[in-house]
Amino acid sequence: MLTKIGNKVGGLRNLLFLCALMLLALVLVLDIYAVDRILEPLGYFYIVFALLAIFYGIYPLYLSRRLTRYYWDRTKRHRLAVFGLVFIFFLVAVAIAGPFLTQDPTKVRFQEKNVPPVGFSITQSVYDVKTDTFSTVHIPGTWRHALGTDDKGRDMLAMLVSGARVSLQVGLLATLIAILIGTVLGVLSAYLGGWVDNALMRFTDVMMTFPFFLLLVFIIFIFGPSLTFVILAIGLTGWTGTARLVRSEALSLRTREFVMASRSLGASDSRIVFRHLIPNVLSSVIVITTLSIPGVILAESALSFIGLGDPTVTSWGVVLNAGQRTLDTAWWVAVEPGVMLFLTVLAFNFLGDGIRDAFDPRSQV
Amino acid sequence: MDNTILKVKDLKVHFFTRHGVVKAVDGDSFDMRRGESLCLVGESGCGKTTVALSVLRLLDSPPGKIMGGEILYGGDDLLKCPDDRLRQIRGNKIAMIFQDPQSSLNPVFTVGDQIAEQLKLHLKLGHREAMEKSLRLMEQVGIPRAAERINDYPHQFSGGMRQRVMIAAALSCNPEILIADEPTTALDTTVKAQIMDIFRDLKREKNMSILFITHDMGTVAGFADRIVVMYGGRIVETGSALDIFDHPTHPYTRGLLNCLPSVSAIRDRLTPIPGAIPSLINPPKGCVFDPRCECRLPLCATVRPEEVVASGDHTVACHQCAPSVVGEGHKPS
Amino acid sequence: MKKGGLQGYVIRRLLYAILIAWGVATCTFILLRVGPISPADKYLANMSARTADPSQVVAAVEARYGLDKPLYVQYFDWLSNLARGDWGWSFSTSMPVMELIQKHWIYSFQLILLSMLFSAILGILIGIYSAVKPYTKTDYLATFFSFIGISVPNFWLGIMLILVFSVQLGWFKTYYDTGLTLFSLANLKALVLPVITLGTGAMAGYTRYVRSAMLENLRKEFVRTARAKGLPERVVIGKHVFRNAILPIITIIMFDLSGVVFGGAYLTEIIFGIPGLGRISFNAVFASDYPVVITITLIGALIVLLTNLATDIVYTRLDPRIRYD
Repeated sequence: MLTKIGNKVGGLRNLLFLCALMLLALVLVLDIYAVDRILEPLGYFYIVFALLAIFYGIYPLYLSRRLTRYYWDRTKRHRLAVFGLVFIFFLVAVAIAGPFLTQDPTKVRFQEKNVPPVGFSITQSVYDVKTDTFSTVHIPGTWRHALGTDDKGRDMLAMLVSGARVSLQVGLLATLIAILIGTVLGVLSAYLGGWVDNALMRFTDVMMTFPFFLLLVFIIFIFGPSLTFVILAIGLTGWTGTARLVRSEALSLRTREFVMASRSLGASDSRIVFRHLIPNVLSSVIVITTLSIPGVILAESALSFIGLGDPTVTSWGVVLNAGQRTLDTAWWVAVEPGVMLFLTVLAFNFLGDGIRDAFDPRSQV
Repeated sequence: MDNTILKVKDLKVHFFTRHGVVKAVDGDSFDMRRGESLCLVGESGCGKTTVALSVLRLLDSPPGKIMGGEILYGGDDLLKCPDDRLRQIRGNKIAMIFQDPQSSLNPVFTVGDQIAEQLKLHLKLGHREAMEKSLRLMEQVGIPRAAERINDYPHQFSGGMRQRVMIAAALSCNPEILIADEPTTALDTTVKAQIMDIFRDLKREKNMSILFITHDMGTVAGFADRIVVMYGGRIVETGSALDIFDHPTHPYTRGLLNCLPSVSAIRDRLTPIPGAIPSLINPPKGCVFDPRCECRLPLCATVRPEEVVASGDHTVACHQCAPSVVGEGHKPS
Repeated sequence: MKKGGLQGYVIRRLLYAILIAWGVATCTFILLRVGPISPADKYLANMSARTADPSQVVAAVEARYGLDKPLYVQYFDWLSNLARGDWGWSFSTSMPVMELIQKHWIYSFQLILLSMLFSAILGILIGIYSAVKPYTKTDYLATFFSFIGISVPNFWLGIMLILVFSVQLGWFKTYYDTGLTLFSLANLKALVLPVITLGTGAMAGYTRYVRSAMLENLRKEFVRTARAKGLPERVVIGKHVFRNAILPIITIIMFDLSGVVFGGAYLTEIIFGIPGLGRISFNAVFASDYPVVITITLIGALIVLLTNLATDIVYTRLDPRIRYD
């Protein structure tokens, strides 16, 4: 019986996934109407993300181990892609474990302000209250603040670790939302055709007409800055490219022989969409996902850099903004978050390029 | 011979690929005489296009590299002369037509521009004169309503018309030699016949020297003065069209002719040559045709056959015809 | 026949652009009405200090914006105001938004134009050079730098340039001065770092696109034809290959304007204090100056719309294979 219902939505896997989603929706309803808070808003994103990754990422990869191995070997030949992957894993580890090991990134200690990183030292004139004079002091970097402190004495290392967490959160969740919307709209548009396709593509054109960053600023301006809203804003505006790509891929698939054959055998629409169209556009979707993450991370840090980020979280953009104001006294505050941001974007770009080449049968690495 | 206009001597061309070195042309020599149409015949992959491209040093390098030999034209060795000198010859003295007129024409320039380009370059004509001359050339190769079409783009032409444009461009500077690399292969049969008519006219009226490359013996019958048969990067037989069609001597040539449908000889079916083209990375030690040859000798597997004269102009590279094997006891002088 | 086809195409594209413009205006309207904060509140936050009776202000603002009318009336008022160029009153600067835009657009235009020239010229030259000599040391170096250029966040690059060249070396300490003419030496000098900041990412991108497009076209058979004609390599590459390779690049450059350049210009203007539209919008956001933020967003969309339109039309002139349908 279960398999029978499963077939309606394109397999048991989809059924299980839908069940899990419904369970989550139930929790959400309880969350809204019950007094106690069960999950943080972001928690829902994480659970959906994890479910998607398990059902449509890890499980299919495990099923087709040989193909996975083949693509992995092809990706591995890109030495830079491997570097990218290693760095991303490192970053994930830092984001998960780091906050427990570092100091509180928001703790202000004025007596320890502007301490340079280990190995550097600066001279600074300090006002002495007792004698009412300025004296020149020599401040060396200490291991207590390995990466130095900012002009409020906050520990740079702790702030960078916190920033890594924010960047990855936004990068993964917002990209996931954007890619999900884009894929669903693209497949629907290609498969249903007619006025649905027309309306969806016109809407895509309208969305693409807004300059991305201006639209983000506008949305945050109206809805107010919170991490959830930043993620939602990026996710809800960043899907247009994916939708177009997926639509054109699905359009060319729709007329291919195996889809025709499946339809002539009496397969239902949902079966064709779930079993044939979605799995076959998946490789393009994986590539575009990896290549979209850096843009999303950059958008978040740019927003928080200009002061439109969540004021309660310490992201790299916030630190960079603080650093910009103290360029002449504490250069490291501006340099360090930028280097992290740059390396993260570089790592995702390398990985994305490697994956794209691995999926591109024409490239011979 | 005084009459010789182009002399290819011991040409060696190798391609350096990931799988190894492909000896695409392996020590080939032939002469081309003034006013004759010389046809280079062989299966695809036998090196005939490589020979044609080597004449004007147009091979893509890498992977192709000319390893040795000479190509003599006028007083120059085309393989070694400086680039400037070669560019004065290209398009001006020796012109070339390629297989696929679709991709050989630049899609973003009008056909008139592309024909006029060489006129401006070599004959130093101004724009208007060059365009007028282009118009006459288009009429000459039989493009209807040439005056209207001169400003059209290649994609607005049919395949046959595009090839006519290519021919018009090649003829623009009145070259001494025209190299045509499978000019009819990408075309429909009827269009093919029309294009061959243009070549026949060129030969008859302009007495042009034409190096015609094809894989199809049928195309060259009635057009070729002399034929060079290539196989696996080597020339296996050279002779006048009569020699080759009436007295094919090399087993490969005989095989090629057996593949042709014939009206006079009533046969149930065409006879294909058994086997496939050998890998040119590790070619057979002796004769390249040995693995597919129906009348091989023990010698063929180990010793590469030299070219021997069969009769007059007719030479063959086959042990069957070599005097030592036949047992005549004397070598040809 | 051909000409009529082109005209028909242009008209169709124009009509479509109007449709999209309507869509953009409608989306903005919906966003505004869905948003949790009403314009009146934003006004109030700003005006309350100066006015005695807040409820009076709310009433005035609601009347001014017709917020007391039914939704569909508001919607039509919104559309007709936009179309007539009545874009509201900027209260943080006390002038009509239209006037404010007219005063400041030229600085954004100058910055974007200069940095696009910078990135397009350098990117194309480096890309061609890389493609002509592929897999050499210079090519690898160019590829390496283009990867870095693409990945470096431009606002951070701007800060680093200030740190090195202004703070440490003291070379470009001048700031953009609106009192001087646009192309005065001092202002041009002040624009050097912003142009590099805004242009580097795009330049790196163009380098890669041009390189791969050139390499792709160098493999085409018409290159062999061009060489067989006896054309010098300079002409073969500069004319035959480049003309084919540049077609997709033009679309990419135009497309960049919407995604990359506007966002970049916004941040660059903020970092370097250039009084362009980005800076104005930024100030308006923090002054809760509602009409200015809306208008600049809409202007950005309008410019993207117009450039897309222009690109499509220019493209039909450049690529003879395009059919007008």
